[in-house]
Amino acid sequence: MVEFRSVTKEYPNGTVALKDVNINIAKGDFVFIVGPSGSGKSTMLKLILKEEDPTLGEVYVNGYNVSALKRKEIPYLRRSLGVVFQDFRLLPNKTVYENVAFALQITEALPREIRRQVPMSLALVGLSKKANMYPGQLSGGEQQRVALARALVNNPALLIADEPTGNLDPETSWEIMKLLSEVNCRGTTVIVATHEKSIVDSMKKRVIAIDKGSIVRDQEKGQYGDEIKNYQIYS
Amino acid sequence: MKLRTTKYIVKEGLINTYRNILMSLASVGIVTASMIVLGLFLIISINLSHNTQILKEQPQMQVFCNPELDDEQVKDIEKAIKNDTRVKKYTYVSKKEALEKAKQMLGEDQDVIEGLGEDFLPVSFIIELNNLKEAKDVVSSLKAIEGVGNVRYSQEQIDIVLKIATWVQIGNVTLIIILLIVAMFIISNTIKLTVFARRKEISIMKYIGATDWFIRWPFIVEGVIIGLVGAAIGFVVISIIYGLVSNRITGALNIISMVSLGQFQFVVTYTFALVGIVIGAMGSAISIRKYLHV
Repeated sequence: MVEFRSVTKEYPNGTVALKDVNINIAKGDFVFIVGPSGSGKSTMLKLILKEEDPTLGEVYVNGYNVSALKRKEIPYLRRSLGVVFQDFRLLPNKTVYENVAFALQITEALPREIRRQVPMSLALVGLSKKANMYPGQLSGGEQQRVALARALVNNPALLIADEPTGNLDPETSWEIMKLLSEVNCRGTTVIVATHEKSIVDSMKKRVIAIDKGSIVRDQEKGQYGDEIKNYQIYS
Repeated sequence: MKLRTTKYIVKEGLINTYRNILMSLASVGIVTASMIVLGLFLIISINLSHNTQILKEQPQMQVFCNPELDDEQVKDIEKAIKNDTRVKKYTYVSKKEALEKAKQMLGEDQDVIEGLGEDFLPVSFIIELNNLKEAKDVVSSLKAIEGVGNVRYSQEQIDIVLKIATWVQIGNVTLIIILLIVAMFIISNTIKLTVFARRKEISIMKYIGATDWFIRWPFIVEGVIIGLVGAAIGFVVISIIYGLVSNRITGALNIISMVSLGQFQFVVTYTFALVGIVIGAMGSAISIRKYLHV
């Protein structure tokens, strides 16, 4: 589903964000990517979304060779995956329903399709009753659920969440994580970049720990662990 | 592109224009002003070429015999002209024909010469030359022929008028281009405000997989709306002004023949619509380029 083949990313200012990274995430996986700020987590997600191109190596996502994708083809790659961000990124002057419908609208989906898919997606995240409210009228957790509904509305095979609970209190964070887990149970591959030690530890999913641009651990049913700190001491 | 997408795009374009109404109106004003100037130049151009065309159709050189000459003497003059190798062609204009022509030119006012007989106007020859450069020599040699009263040679004046006309046209085109570029940048600036206000939205749209054109179109629609509204107002203003002014000019200066509004309305309408659309679309295309790279 997602594969990094000896990927190195160096930004124009000389910062090396990723050093010869190899990852293989299979279909149906639930993966946490953990690591301190500036470790290269965000760069990994940016490479998957083709916001950035790798300096060396290749990235494969959903069968697309992302590194070789032309600018014109990027939208189609992004339509094949759902993305959730820390800051929700909802359109403030559209209602909850319209926000979710918009993701289908841009793909020129049939109105009939939109009328069917949007309520289903909203029901999945438990927001059917707030369909006509605006993002500003919702709590942070609810806004993130709208973002999740939007990410899922065109049934992507891959869901990417960049610090999805970064702006939420612990309780709401758990709700979101449960939802992500549910989505994963339905067969969607989920990749979550996060700092939340407690959540990672208790969910017992695959954990990829990254520090200073290198993978320091890749473990099934892993923990957030503290070798990240140890690693820093050793090096 | 599908119909519902087109609908969405037009709707978004209208909303954009409305949200930004003050700047939109300001841009419409600038476009209108540019269009009025463009229209004026266009009309001047059309009239200039119309008038120079008329001038070109007039005889280049005309030799008038003295009115009191008899037929024999006229024949002598004709012979002299005929033998001149520099003359390519000549046409004989009898007294009667001259009178007809005069009546025609006077139109409704022909009663002024009603009482006058055929002798009133002289016999003349319209001459075409092989080589215009020899015109001056020909004029002086024709004048020397006995019985010739006057030689009218208008080519020089025509040349001057044509030269002026050409320069005016070049000046017009330059000014029009400058004005249109200015109008385009002002539209682009207005669109930039909308784009800036919606840059977050644009980046969200890019993240959820909107194509560049899907994002770009509403802004282009906004630009085109501004361009077209400006052009329409400009056209109305120009039509009113021309209607008022052209009659006065024709009334005051008989030598200028003004093209009537109906004759060039199509040209002006199309030019305005096209220019409005193009500067609007280009203006917005300039301003969104930067924000599309996410």
